[in-house]
Amino acid sequence: MSETGGLERITPEVVEIDSRVFDLDLRSVWRYRELIYFLVWRVLKVRYKQSVLGAAYAIIQPVFAVAVFTIVFGRFAKIPSDNVAYAPFVFAAVVPWNYFAEALRGCSSGLVDDSDLVRKVYFPRLVIPLAMVMAPVVDFALSFLVLLGLLLLYGIAPGWPVLLVPLFMFQAMLLALSVGLWLGPINVRFRDIKHTLPFLIQIWMYASPVIFPVSIVPERWRFLYSLNPMVGVIEGFRWAVLGKASPDFRAMGLSALLVLLVLLAGLFYFRKMEQSFADII
Amino acid sequence: MSTPAAIQVEGLGKQYRLGTRAHDTFRDLLADRFESIVRRRGSRQPAKEAFWALRDVSFEIAAGHNVGFIGLNGAGKSTLLKLLARITKPTTGRARIAGRVGALLEVGTGFHAELTGRENTFLYGAILGMSKQEVRRKFEAIVDFAGIKDFIDTPVKRYSSGMYVRLAFSVASHLEPEILLLDEVLSVGDLPFQAKCIAFVKRLQQSNATILFVSHNMFSIKTMCKRVIYLNKGEIRYDGPTDGGIALYEGDCRLSTLPWTERRPDEWTVRVTEIAVTDESGRPKSVFDHGERMRVRLEYEVRQQLEALNFIVAFVRSDGVACCNYSTETDGVSIDPVADHGVIELVTPPLSLVSELYTIHVLVRKKGFQEALSAQIGATFHVRHELFDTHFGVFHERAEWSVGGPEAVVRAR
Repeated sequence: MSETGGLERITPEVVEIDSRVFDLDLRSVWRYRELIYFLVWRVLKVRYKQSVLGAAYAIIQPVFAVAVFTIVFGRFAKIPSDNVAYAPFVFAAVVPWNYFAEALRGCSSGLVDDSDLVRKVYFPRLVIPLAMVMAPVVDFALSFLVLLGLLLLYGIAPGWPVLLVPLFMFQAMLLALSVGLWLGPINVRFRDIKHTLPFLIQIWMYASPVIFPVSIVPERWRFLYSLNPMVGVIEGFRWAVLGKASPDFRAMGLSALLVLLVLLAGLFYFRKMEQSFADII
Repeated sequence: MSTPAAIQVEGLGKQYRLGTRAHDTFRDLLADRFESIVRRRGSRQPAKEAFWALRDVSFEIAAGHNVGFIGLNGAGKSTLLKLLARITKPTTGRARIAGRVGALLEVGTGFHAELTGRENTFLYGAILGMSKQEVRRKFEAIVDFAGIKDFIDTPVKRYSSGMYVRLAFSVASHLEPEILLLDEVLSVGDLPFQAKCIAFVKRLQQSNATILFVSHNMFSIKTMCKRVIYLNKGEIRYDGPTDGGIALYEGDCRLSTLPWTERRPDEWTVRVTEIAVTDESGRPKSVFDHGERMRVRLEYEVRQQLEALNFIVAFVRSDGVACCNYSTETDGVSIDPVADHGVIELVTPPLSLVSELYTIHVLVRKKGFQEALSAQIGATFHVRHELFDTHFGVFHERAEWSVGGPEAVVRAR
């Protein structure tokens, strides 16, 4: 052929199909990295095309949530906020939380939402959850800018730890992926996940220090509590932007280790299940 | 050394468990498990039925060869392509594919309605495995081939279905694979576009690509492939020169049950045992001239006492278009079988169908087009006319014209 294009790059020269062989094959995911890019791009394009306010939702949604939290939990319920004004205190948690919730939602339902593709086209299925945890990064960045604006308004100047913000986001990404790699395939088989996920996310939010500080958790339970991986993410985030008490890095390291284990197992589970997606989706 | 094999398939099989899809929610599964525990001591529940969509299929295709895959719906053709395209994993066996694979099992899956033609071109390209640079480089050619230049920045939800398919196929056809898996996609779009598609496949052939082509259209199979593999109930029934395979397939189709019914011929209340296609005087014939009349003779058996049967003979074109049907009921003939078998004959009006290949479907229903008592496929026949083909529509009839105005002259032929 005169002109051989990307296919040469993407499909290996020899494809072996064998009923007995299993391998994790992360190389094929790497070969399809451009598809990840296009799937992320599609999520963003479609969202901004279908709605009048488009990108503004990335800002409006957290702002309203923070306003409501501030009035209800800050003013009425008088939940303490570690000597920081309640609005920036809760906003600093809503930003990573919203990212995590959106990534987990997309990761768990992405396969089913794209069932046509799964049924009719070959590509490494891992591409879908990967794209789904990357797409909300854009919203995260936008709402993070709003957070910086709010901090300015309250006269709070973040110190050097603010540079670690991407690290905490990355941790939230791995966490969403590790859970999503399990929920996604289960969702293919049992559509129950669709109904379960919203309240799972809601309960998880109240189990995480979004509207309250970790300091109200009794001391002796604190370590156990910190094993919820989102505790470390949120506390780390607050520490990075508000410059308050640093998170329990020991517990954070332990929960990160847990996340990595779940993630690794999730990768194998996903690859194993992936082979029957097209048959049962 | 002979030509190296592009595809080697050894003992490939795919088993589906019927009912796997039944548990769409976790609750169903629990309910089912519970039921099976409760029932354990009583009547044993029949094991979940496993069925082989494809069984122990082996073949080899040399690089640069085209092979057509034929068989009734459910014979395993699409399953085979899905396995080779790596969409799903085989239950048994293995396959080795040497070369870049392009699979077109359905055109346009992955298009997003809200996105424009341009955006979808890039997205679909990426889905099919093309790089961004590649799509960018071929963009002009893709839009040109699809013939939708003016609409490239319009969301595809505003496209006609023809435009949609043309753009999708155009992207796909610029894949330039070494091995192409094609499932029935050439039968989309209008005729000029189909001609383009055939030209595209021809060009691929010249570049020594290997093409696996699934179709129900025996015409396309004949023009494209020298070799066919005929699958029947998941197994290879024939592998060899095209003419022999098609003859065998058409022979098997004769009097077999229509695929949508999911019943075996011997399960029907009425069984058509013979469908004979002849000319008016009763001589067997399979090629008819446009305007000729056809005699169809049906022999049937009935399994229980029935009355007021409605026999329907339908002509279905090779691309699946149901062109016409004749029914005893609409023509005011009442069939009340007294014996357990009988014969019924139909003489068609002069055939006005255009030049093509047709299959005869025979249905027997209860009065008022109620419940089907039989649904079988009969013989195939060709209609011949030097001018009238599908460009002229489904059928062609002579009309009467009147021409007004002083200078008009009507010459009788």
